[in-house]
Parts: sequence; structure tokens; C-alpha cells
Amino acid sequence: MKTLARRTVVGLLSRIGRTSETVARHAGELTFLAFRVAVATLTGRVALRDVLNQLQSIGVGSIPLVGVTAVLSGVVTSQQGGYQFTSSIPLYVLGSVVTSSVILELGPVMTAFVLIGRVGARITAELGTMKVSEQIDALHSLGRDPVAVLAAPRIIAGTIAMPLLVGLADFVGVFAGLVAARFSIGLGGESFLFGARLYWHSWDLLYSITKGFVFGFIIPLISVHMGFGTQGGAEGVGRATTSAVVFMIITVLVIDATFPPLFLN
Amino acid sequence: MIEYIDVYKAFDQPVLSGVSLTVETGETLSIVGPSGTGKSVLLKTTNGLLVPDRGDVRIDGHSVYGSDGGTLQQIRRKVGYVFQYAALFDSMNVFENVVTGLPDGEAKRARSPEVLRKVCDALEDVNLDPGLILWKVPSELSGGMRKRVGLARAIVGRPEILLYDEPVTGLDPVNTATISRLILEIRERTHVTSIVVTHDIEQALEISDRVALLSHGKLRFVGTPADFRASDDPVVRAFADRRAAAEAALQLVEREEDEETEEEP
Repeated sequence: MKTLARRTVVGLLSRIGRTSETVARHAGELTFLAFRVAVATLTGRVALRDVLNQLQSIGVGSIPLVGVTAVLSGVVTSQQGGYQFTSSIPLYVLGSVVTSSVILELGPVMTAFVLIGRVGARITAELGTMKVSEQIDALHSLGRDPVAVLAAPRIIAGTIAMPLLVGLADFVGVFAGLVAARFSIGLGGESFLFGARLYWHSWDLLYSITKGFVFGFIIPLISVHMGFGTQGGAEGVGRATTSAVVFMIITVLVIDATFPPLFLN
Repeated sequence: MIEYIDVYKAFDQPVLSGVSLTVETGETLSIVGPSGTGKSVLLKTTNGLLVPDRGDVRIDGHSVYGSDGGTLQQIRRKVGYVFQYAALFDSMNVFENVVTGLPDGEAKRARSPEVLRKVCDALEDVNLDPGLILWKVPSELSGGMRKRVGLARAIVGRPEILLYDEPVTGLDPVNTATISRLILEIRERTHVTSIVVTHDIEQALEISDRVALLSHGKLRFVGTPADFRASDDPVVRAFADRRAAAEAALQLVEREEDEETEEEP
């Protein structure tokens, strides 16, 4: 019995050790990649044309999906808030609840999830395929730095596009919440905006955009890192893409959880 | 001149175990050997695509691994690499793929008539009609055409050294003969130093000044094609006359099967 207990503890500890080692290794490699991207950018080795192409793909291409997600987030928050407030709390408070929920949380996080699914997974699959088909080696052999050619444009574009997408999601989400409030509980637009202004902090929008900035940097960074690390054939690309999506979701949620204690106290 | 000095490389198991070899300027050397014996690994240590665990590779006296980043880039510019499956960039058309083989300064002037002329010349050098394929993407090309575009990309910058990794793998006999002839033509025209990794012994004996046989991570034979054909070494013999070796192996298997049948009651 004692042996079994000892084996269980040893197994658990070794599992924790392996997980810690993996987390530390990824953290180190991500930091190094970020450093190399910064060096490539500051030394002018990143082509503006590549950044603009990625801005088109990551930013402009994501607008419809971000818009739909924001509308649904605003509508659902408004309807559920309205349902709970009826006959208990002044209805105009709903304006504050919807605005705060969308701007502080739903706008940045739902946009991050859209970016993970639409852009992060694609980047990992694309770079992973390039890795296993020796296209990354081809870049090296041609004297070109894959970090400057492939990684930096995607990370720069993500960092620029994401705050703008979050701003758009915030605006669309609040507006959708306002419209939904009128139709679901009959709360007029002026009352909604009165409630929204009542508890409004000007810092909230900056908080939201800052989240977007951080997510916009970290999502392509992880997806590029996982793509560059892909091994094996088609199966390896699939495995790397799945791992990257899980990695990005957990990272976004962890970062999201660190924001309130850091910035809202 | 390329010098491999006591090169060791291991992944899960040792792959190269102390390979020393010199390839003279203007020479064509083929490396043959069984699958998984480290031929491509040795080739990839030439321009730093894989870093040896021990030993060094020198090109014209400059250490590939003792050099700073800038020198390594200069060394890579001297070396053209033809990948096993061409490794063309999927997102680029043929013109853009071949342009990446030019030095940075010229590649940035991709729209100039001078660059267009160089790309067309390189494609014509590998018997491709630029008018037909210049704006096609790799997925629209046959396997043989992809290999030739890969070759055009490798030679467009007029490298002093060409490395061929399994240049005829997966090609039909006509395309195999075409690629072999191209390797000979390019050598005669440009006096480039070439290393060809292949398991097509007929091709190796046809195009090479010398042949090296790699077996179990070590060089088993280095000599002229005539020496290779005349060698008494059983491993070399098996490679020199593959059909006879395969026939002998088949006879052995059939004899064993006959003996097993006779032993049954």
C-alpha cells in the first residue's frame, strides 16, 4: 500500500515537473522569438508590403466575424440583464451593465477568440506546412530570415489590428445591446445611455484597447512559435494547430484574469 | 572548396559518426547510401540548415559554424540548395519564387526589366518556357516542373556551390534523365562545385567526378565512378549492381520459403 502511495506521489510530481519544464521551455522560446521580432523590426528588415498584406488578412478579413460576434454578445447581455432587472432594479442600470460587460470583458475576449480561431489556427497551419515541406529551410538557404519574412509581419499586423477590432467590437456590441434593450424590455435609447454614462469611467475604453493590444501581440506570437516548431507530416501540422489553439485560449484567459487586479483596483 | 571535418550528428540515435570529406572547387561529388544513413543530414550541415554536434564544415576556408551571422549569410549566398520536393513557396507564383534566389538588393527591384530577364534566363536554363509558367503558382505545376523551378531558384543568383538533395526522387525516367542532363549542363556552363545526394546510383555514376558511399554514419567509399564500379567491397558491389543484389536477395528468400515448405509434414 505504501509502495502504491509512493508511486502515485512520484508519478504526480514527475508529471508536475514535466509540465513545468514544458511551460518554462515555451515561455523561454516565446521570449526569444519576441526579441528576434523586435530586432528584425528595429533593424528595418521587415517589408512594409508584408505587414500591409497581413493587416488586410488579419484585420480587414476579421471585421465581418468580429461584427457578428459583437452583435450577439451585446444582444445576449442586454436580454439576460433585462430579464434579471425587471421589477427589481431601475432599468436604466442595464445601460451600464451592458456597456461595462461589453467594453471591459466581452469585446476584447470574444474578439480574441475570433482571432484565435480565424487567424491563429491559420498561421500555425500555414507555417507548420511550410516547416514540414522544407519551405522554412528554403528561406534559410536563400539567406533570408524567416523571423523577418514570416513572423514579424504577422505579429506586427496582429498588434496593430487587434486594438482596432476590439474598438469596433465595443462600439457594435454596445449599440446592439441598446437596440436589444429597446425591443426586449422597452428601454429607450436615452435611458440606456443615461445608465451607461452614470457608471462610466473614461479609463474603461483604454483598458479594453490595452487588452486588445496585448491579445493582438500574444496570439500571433504563439501561433508563429507553434508553426515554426511543427514536426512530422500532415499529422504533425494537425497536432501543432490543435495545441496552438489550446495554448492561445488558455493564455488569453490567464492574461484576462490578470487584468482586473493589475488595472482596475 | 568544401571541407567536412570530423562531423558528428545525432537525433534520437547517431546519424553521422565522424565524417571527413573534401570536395574540390568545380568538382561534382555524389553521396549515395541506404535510406536513413545521413546523406541529407550531411548535406544540410553544409550551409547551416542543421548544426553538427561536433566537427566543422568549411567553405573556401571559412568555418560555417565559427562565423558570425553576417558571414553565415554571405556563405549561404554562395550556396544554392535544391530541395528534395523543391520546397517552392506555395503563396508565390513562379516568378516570385525564382526572385527569392536573387540577392536582397535585386529581389527588392523585382519589377525591373533586368530582374525579369534574369528570372527568364534561369527558367530557360532549366528548359522551362517562362511565357507559359511565369505567373503560375506551384500547385499548377507537375512534379518535374516544380523540381526545375526549384533548380532555377537555386541557380538564378549564380552560386559558386550547388547542393542537390535527392533531385530525381519521385520522377519518371524521362524527367530523371532531364534533371541529370541539366546538372551536367549547369556544371559545364558555370563550373559550379556540386554535391548531389541521391539513391539513384546510375545517375550518380553518370554525373559525378567522384562518388562517396555513406553507410552507418561513416564514409565507406570515396572514389571515381570507375573505382566504384571496380570495387571489391560487398556493400559497394551491392550498390554498383543493384539489380544483381536484388535478384540475389529474392533468390535467398525463395530458397528459404522452399525449405520451410519441405519441412512441413
